[in-house]
Amino acid sequence: MWSYIAQQLINALSYGSILGLLAVGYTMIYGILGLINFAHGEIFMIGAFACYLLSAHWNLPWIVCATGAVLASTAVGVMLQRFVYKPCQKRKASVLTMFIASFAASLGLRFFFLMLYTDDRKPFPIPEIFDTMYFVGDVAIGFRDIAIFISTIVVMLLLTYFIRYTKIGIAMRAVSFDLRTAEHMGVSSEKIIVAAFVIGSLLAGLSAIEYGLSFGVVNPSMGFLPGLSGFIAAVIGGIGNVPGAMLGGYLIGVGEVLFVAALPTEYSPLRPLFVWALLLIILFLKPSGLFRPNVKFEGTWEN
Amino acid sequence: MDLTKHLKFLVVIAIIICIILLMEKSLTGLMISVIVLFAINAIVCLGVSITNSYTNIFSLGFGGIMLVAGYTSALLTLPVTYKAAVLHLPSWLESAHWAFAPAIIVSGVVAVLASVILVLPAFRLSGHYFILASLGINLVMANLGINLSKFTHGAMGIRNIPFYTNLWWVFGFLALTVIFIWRLKRSKFGRALITIGKDNTLAATLGINVVRYKIYSFIIGSFIVGIGGALWVHYIGAMHPHVFDLLFVFMIVAMLALGGSNTISGAITGAAIITFFIQLARPIQEGFTLSGVTVPPLQGLIQVLIAIMLVLVMIYRPDGIFYREPKINWLIGRNKTKDKPR
Repeated sequence: MWSYIAQQLINALSYGSILGLLAVGYTMIYGILGLINFAHGEIFMIGAFACYLLSAHWNLPWIVCATGAVLASTAVGVMLQRFVYKPCQKRKASVLTMFIASFAASLGLRFFFLMLYTDDRKPFPIPEIFDTMYFVGDVAIGFRDIAIFISTIVVMLLLTYFIRYTKIGIAMRAVSFDLRTAEHMGVSSEKIIVAAFVIGSLLAGLSAIEYGLSFGVVNPSMGFLPGLSGFIAAVIGGIGNVPGAMLGGYLIGVGEVLFVAALPTEYSPLRPLFVWALLLIILFLKPSGLFRPNVKFEGTWEN
Repeated sequence: MDLTKHLKFLVVIAIIICIILLMEKSLTGLMISVIVLFAINAIVCLGVSITNSYTNIFSLGFGGIMLVAGYTSALLTLPVTYKAAVLHLPSWLESAHWAFAPAIIVSGVVAVLASVILVLPAFRLSGHYFILASLGINLVMANLGINLSKFTHGAMGIRNIPFYTNLWWVFGFLALTVIFIWRLKRSKFGRALITIGKDNTLAATLGINVVRYKIYSFIIGSFIVGIGGALWVHYIGAMHPHVFDLLFVFMIVAMLALGGSNTISGAITGAAIITFFIQLARPIQEGFTLSGVTVPPLQGLIQVLIAIMLVLVMIYRPDGIFYREPKINWLIGRNKTKDKPR
């Protein structure tokens, strides 16, 4: 029994890492633009796809594919900002308009890949080193789980340092808290928005590689559910709060996996319901999330 | 003056009836199906526009609500033998074999109940959080549709649903909806909803009970949307949990955004443009050979094109085609309108 739970926990930690990295992207962009970047799940999907394509078509070494994945995600994120959100902002569009635009961008990207590659599951390239298993008692720990967890923790620490102590990081937090005042203090909000998209999409690409390593498949609609869970993780962690988003990701990942593990198997298709139930409970009890949000007016747009 | 007004209305209605009759006699099956789908989409758009643009609570949950209405109507009208063979229903539901009209009304009422139960807790949220929670309604409903296989036959879906919907039903309901919303927007009640949409705080200071009116707007909207769902089900004749999924929701949002979401003419125009575009572009998507050049089938091209179009509309004309109602004073018999239509 205990070994079963421990085994599930190890799976949960990988899933939580994936969600945590996604949540950071959401939280940064939401904090700065006040916009749910609905296309974030598709940025994630494109990262995984780039890795698959590079490896399947050109047979490149894995590390090159992985780098390509991160670069592809970043490029898509920046292009979305440049060609969708920036023109909207320039015309002083309302947040709702931008949300519909991001909804459209998300569906458009997903169907573009569906059009080219159909919705079949494709194998994600996994180097042999990740297949190594270690055994602690009855519990099997794959090298991939360790790699995913450690790389996530390292990235999180780096990011925390970046957000806390570097000049851009401080400027980002300032813009996230109050854009107008930050601009008065001489922060160029345009640069900060681009920086937020770069970092968020980069982390989404990293998260896509982790997803591929842990599930081994790629398909065009893979981004939707992790994307939503990632956003919920960002809300739970307090919007704009980067470490909070990471913790929120782990909370949802662990909660979701343990929820499925605890229930009898005939209820396991109900897994998506858990996330929504958790979201609603947390939003009712503490609408600002579990940790302190870093935005002045959150969760609402007044006309 | 009053007499001519009524006369004009009667003439317009007569012309519309003649057009429908003409369409029924002369058009082929494919064109009729496109027109029926357009009318159903227009009904859904009008229902959605009450909550999403008049009251300005942007909700994506209407897919789940249509699912509830569709299943209700299907279960009430299915042949008894089919129900006994495939589903495991309580006996009163299993023996029910209703006519179309009561079934469609009841399914609208059930949609209202479902939406109130689902949306009421979400009213504590606002803005993006509310959108997210309403998106959850879709996922939760589709999930329940898969898992409550006693009622819904799981992911396999229900077949043999009687084909009741025809041009008369859809255009009848479309006309009723248009007249209802037209009257609503000029009533005290509708103006209260629009005021809430413009500014919550202002509405509250004017003595409007904001939460109560928001719930009312959801009740009206989900009733219309539910009727749209029921009409759809009886037109297609089959039902499964993923029919009103995110793609359907996206199409409705695109129709509203393209046409202009806060006018009746906008909702109808948007529904028309996108429904006909989907049908026209379908042959391109299937792949074709043009003067020796073979274009491979590209499933999903339509959705990509609509998405690109929607992004462009959002950038360059976020209010849609019809921001204001076009002037139809000749029909309603006013010389100068003091109260500007929105």
